[in-house]
Amino acid sequence: MNIDYTERLKPATDDFMTIHLADQGEGPSLRHCTHDYQVSCGNCRLASICLPLALEQDDIQQLDNIIQRSKPLQKNQHLYREGDEFQSVFAVRSGTLKAYKTTDDGREQVTGFYFPGEILGMDGISSNTHASSAKSLETAAVCEIPFTSLEKLSALMPSLQRHFFQLMSREITEDQQLITLLSKNSADERVASLMLSISTRNARRKLSATQFRLPMSRVDIGNYLGLTVETVSRVFSRMQKMDVLKVDNKEIEILDLEDLRGMANLGS
Amino acid sequence: MYNTEKIDVMPPIDKKDTRHDNLRLAAKYASQGPRYTSYPTAPQFSEDFPLDQYTAWQTGAGDHRRAPLSLYVHLPFCKDICYYCACNKTVTRKPGAARHYLDHLLTEIELQSVLVGNNRPITQMHWGGGTPTYLDNAEITELMHGLASHFALLDKGYREYSIEIDPRTVDHATVALLKGVGFNRVSLGIQDFDPLVQKSINRVQPYREVANLVDCIRNHNFRSLSFDLIYGLPHQDTQTTAETLDKVISLAPDRIACYNYAHLPDRFPSQRAIDRLDLPTPEEKLLLHEIIAETLQEAGYLHIGMDHFVLPTDELAIAQQEGRLQRNFQGYSLRMAEDLLGLGASAISQMGDFYLQNERDLQQYYDQLDKQVLPIEKGFKSGREDRLRKHVIMSLISELALDINDCNERFGIDFNASFDRELRILQAMEKDGLLAIGGDSIQVMEKGRPFLRNICMPFDAYLTTASTPPPGAYSATV
Repeated sequence: MNIDYTERLKPATDDFMTIHLADQGEGPSLRHCTHDYQVSCGNCRLASICLPLALEQDDIQQLDNIIQRSKPLQKNQHLYREGDEFQSVFAVRSGTLKAYKTTDDGREQVTGFYFPGEILGMDGISSNTHASSAKSLETAAVCEIPFTSLEKLSALMPSLQRHFFQLMSREITEDQQLITLLSKNSADERVASLMLSISTRNARRKLSATQFRLPMSRVDIGNYLGLTVETVSRVFSRMQKMDVLKVDNKEIEILDLEDLRGMANLGS
Repeated sequence: MYNTEKIDVMPPIDKKDTRHDNLRLAAKYASQGPRYTSYPTAPQFSEDFPLDQYTAWQTGAGDHRRAPLSLYVHLPFCKDICYYCACNKTVTRKPGAARHYLDHLLTEIELQSVLVGNNRPITQMHWGGGTPTYLDNAEITELMHGLASHFALLDKGYREYSIEIDPRTVDHATVALLKGVGFNRVSLGIQDFDPLVQKSINRVQPYREVANLVDCIRNHNFRSLSFDLIYGLPHQDTQTTAETLDKVISLAPDRIACYNYAHLPDRFPSQRAIDRLDLPTPEEKLLLHEIIAETLQEAGYLHIGMDHFVLPTDELAIAQQEGRLQRNFQGYSLRMAEDLLGLGASAISQMGDFYLQNERDLQQYYDQLDKQVLPIEKGFKSGREDRLRKHVIMSLISELALDINDCNERFGIDFNASFDRELRILQAMEKDGLLAIGGDSIQVMEKGRPFLRNICMPFDAYLTTASTPPPGAYSATV
């Protein structure tokens, strides 16, 4: 399966509020989370990278009040589907989700992965319908933040509003950088960029930047990067041979972060 | 080895003649005149114009409730002062300045979307300044989100959403963000690449950094990249200009707009930092202008008028051939929307028969919006005569031609009789080869393109009645 990513990117490049947020966190009632699954924003371990980031204790309580926490998503369960009415944004509490669009000929095109502390669903903000679907790659818990309530609250809390738009701008920027990456860069550069991205995001939530388990399959990676599964595997082997990465099925160890950066060739 | 290159350095005879001829014309036609981004031009706008008629027209029935609309967003702040600048701007690094402005701008956006309606497809949008990228990434996102919530922004490929970038203020992440929030064109304020010139205008931006930024912009697939250049700046000479042009051409922008620096230190205090003695003489300036036009055209750029040069493949060049070019406060653009809504302090709107200008003073702008009132300071309502003259001027300046029969039909006039006086002035220009007057058309010739303002000025009723413009009211025509 060789994905024509120029075709895939076309709608995305012209699609301007293709916005998802990054980062947010509070505590939903997530069964899956090994720690605290009845956490509130106030004592969520993701609070430092999520929406409460810039808030005072009282304000965090108010934010917490608008958040809805529902049952965890099972593997492959949808959070929302393309075309659904946009009502909320979601913060990943635990697990990983992927966002994808369905191409005109019915294929799935992965457009993003969302890790704990990151926000998804922003792609619906301008058009009021979700421009993509989101489903969980493993058991996952999310906090639902009804957008109207969030907007009302933001109007009262400048720091929440500011942080919200900061997250939104980061999400848009990363989205766009990916689109450019896919349209310009070699297979090695693409795979290296994704590994770097996961590493950075892990570090953001105080996890190891060099050792992690990939929550997504090779197929999803290939789909996301516009590469065949064989190519993804070949690149991983090459990186192993060069002692940049150690790959054991889904377990990744980055042996040389500098070399990996060099391979990603992201420019300044 | 034969050094054949040396022979080529000498310009061929006919080129030298052309240059001589052009310089003679430039000297002859040099005067001050409007850029005609509107007609009548902004000095005619006044505080006592019929605002009630305007709002009645806005809210009344008509096609304008659904017609495409162009937005201009003015962001007046700059971190540093560029000495030459004559724009409406505020130089500040005060934290919170942008926040305060943004809050008011968002209020204005809300008020305007109520008056203008939120159904009109926004086919064009331009953010100008000041320095639009004075806003940080979160603020850019918030403003675009505010606009998208109150107006019908488009995600279609044909939209023209552009932003002015000060190369010193953006990194690669911001370029990605700008693309992601919907911009598909950027213009870079280059001015000049010479280090001494840059230093003397307090705008140091090394070529390397600009080239790097251009690379990044290209990688993000913006549809068009435009450069602004200025001639007549301190320490510019034929050598520095040739070098700057070399660098410009190597970066291959799709569009290049050249502006003439007008040294008016009495009106623009920051210009006092520029030593008059460092400026090129008027003769040198004409030569620089000629070198720019010559070099860019040799490099394959077309002069579409008003010192705007574009690659032949650029949409503007194609639109001009097809008669789809328009001129408004954003300069030249594709004719996609007749109306333009200006947002922000000092912004000018062009709506139906009305021109409106927002408060230029920031405090006044804030005060009005704090009272939930549209911050309109001045305006103008065009009458029939204004519309006719506007049509003539805008046709000449955009299409480089006027179809006289079409004009007669549109306005029910006999053009040749109504504009007898104007035609006689044009006849003198015809002798110089600037234009060709026929029974049913006026055509601007290749040679006349540098003198579009001169060609349009006879049709400007407000210039002739007031005889001459006040000194410094307009910049030099050439």
